[in-house]
Amino acid sequence: MARGYDDIVVVVPTTEPYVRRSEHGAAWFIARVLGAMLRRSGLAKDAIDGLCLSSLTLAPDTAVAFTQHAGLSPRFLEWLPMGGASGVVALRRAARAVQAGDAEIVACIAGDTANATSFTDLIENFSSFSRDAVYPYGAGGPNASFALITDAYMRGFGATRADFGRLCVAQRANARRNPLALLREPLTLEAYLAARPIAEPLHLFDCVMPCAGAEGFLVMRRARAEALGLRGVRLLGAIERHNAYADDPVQMRGGWAIDREALWAQAGVAPDAINLVQVYDDYPVIAFMQLEDLGFCGKGGAAAFVRDRDLTVAGDFPVNTGGGQLSAGQAGAAGGYLGLVEAVRQLAGEAAGRAVPDARHALVSGFGMINYDRGLCTAACVLAAP
Amino acid sequence: MRAAAAAGRFALQRCGACGRAQYPPRAFCTACLSDNVEWEVLAFAPGTLLARCRLHHSNALRFRPALPLDLGLVRLDAGPVAVCFLAGVPAIGAGVTVRARLDVAGHPVLDAAA
Ligand SMILES: [Zn+2]
Repeated sequence: MARGYDDIVVVVPTTEPYVRRSEHGAAWFIARVLGAMLRRSGLAKDAIDGLCLSSLTLAPDTAVAFTQHAGLSPRFLEWLPMGGASGVVALRRAARAVQAGDAEIVACIAGDTANATSFTDLIENFSSFSRDAVYPYGAGGPNASFALITDAYMRGFGATRADFGRLCVAQRANARRNPLALLREPLTLEAYLAARPIAEPLHLFDCVMPCAGAEGFLVMRRARAEALGLRGVRLLGAIERHNAYADDPVQMRGGWAIDREALWAQAGVAPDAINLVQVYDDYPVIAFMQLEDLGFCGKGGAAAFVRDRDLTVAGDFPVNTGGGQLSAGQAGAAGGYLGLVEAVRQLAGEAAGRAVPDARHALVSGFGMINYDRGLCTAACVLAAP
Repeated sequence: MRAAAAAGRFALQRCGACGRAQYPPRAFCTACLSDNVEWEVLAFAPGTLLARCRLHHSNALRFRPALPLDLGLVRLDAGPVAVCFLAGVPAIGAGVTVRARLDVAGHPVLDAAA
């Protein structure tokens, strides 16, 4: 088993509020989060000696350029173009760097901008495979890829639109308690089912709304956090896997299924110890797969699992307690941080108005990068309250 | 692949070292990493329809007049999986025939029909 994470903690979960469109570039959003984290922690900028950065709209710049923009001089630097897996992977990298002494305080940030053309530009040149073998088929972007995956999943396991709708409706109820969520008007199952088709079987409320924004947190040793007067959320275990099950003709499972035993063993807790779950939800079908592949229910069992549970913050199985991307919006790579930042808020007692009672343990899962016909990056971690 | 598609033929990549067929095309074999990948030019490729969807929204203006568009995910008998335009309404699990052509932008695309 991989070595544990000792006393590594996560502090100052921070969000630069999302907006539908922005004239600011991605670096502005990233810098806003960095500045807010410094103010909250009381740290000077020079104390940040590690940086993990993710963005889909920072081009032509990367994390390297950002160090000069922001006047940082880190001795540990990661550029993680892993989309929805970015947050968990950043935490995993940062934790190991701090553990090994390669850095003392690592800032992990993802941020993106959104304007009239940013999303369409991104889709057109997302990867060489998608440029050659997906984009020419109607330029549907991730909607088209996930429509095919959703169709296969519904046929394979008998899941219905109403099953996906229950998750979306519960997340919207959670979002109504989250002032940072962009979509907060009530959503009923009837409205979900009546929504216009986007890429059948996907309809409007199955699809995230692209937006601009940023998310971040700091990683350090617990003693350092306590000296700063910060409540540190502990990292108990973390996994990642890329290009799993390459021979499956359609993506019906992800790398979590390979690594979940390692995750639970490293974390030292079982799925039934988890008080809240943050799954990556660019589309409901992938949220279902995470519940299955991480061991909360059997393969194909997520529809029944969701039917039998209350997924709201007041329920018996709270999922995506801030509303998830489906209600908060998808701020590019920050979507890969959203669940992690929300979980840290919940465990640190900072989720005012939507706190899961007695939350001790959280699971956060990430999923990213539809390179051709499926998402390639999977990651997950287990966190514990201070 | 483009030249073959211009002639209405589907050029499928196959490894000269291990025989593995692959799609989308790439510079080396996904199985054995040999760069001895060859083009197998076919009049059509048989396959099986795995999943379908109907696009009602496109991110590119040039596709919008053609909406809605039916797409399918096809497992080629040769092995790889291909996103294709769907002609007609082949059933899931049914055999389909995949043909290549150039689209109006000069890009090779695949059509699957029952
Ligand atoms: Zn080969």
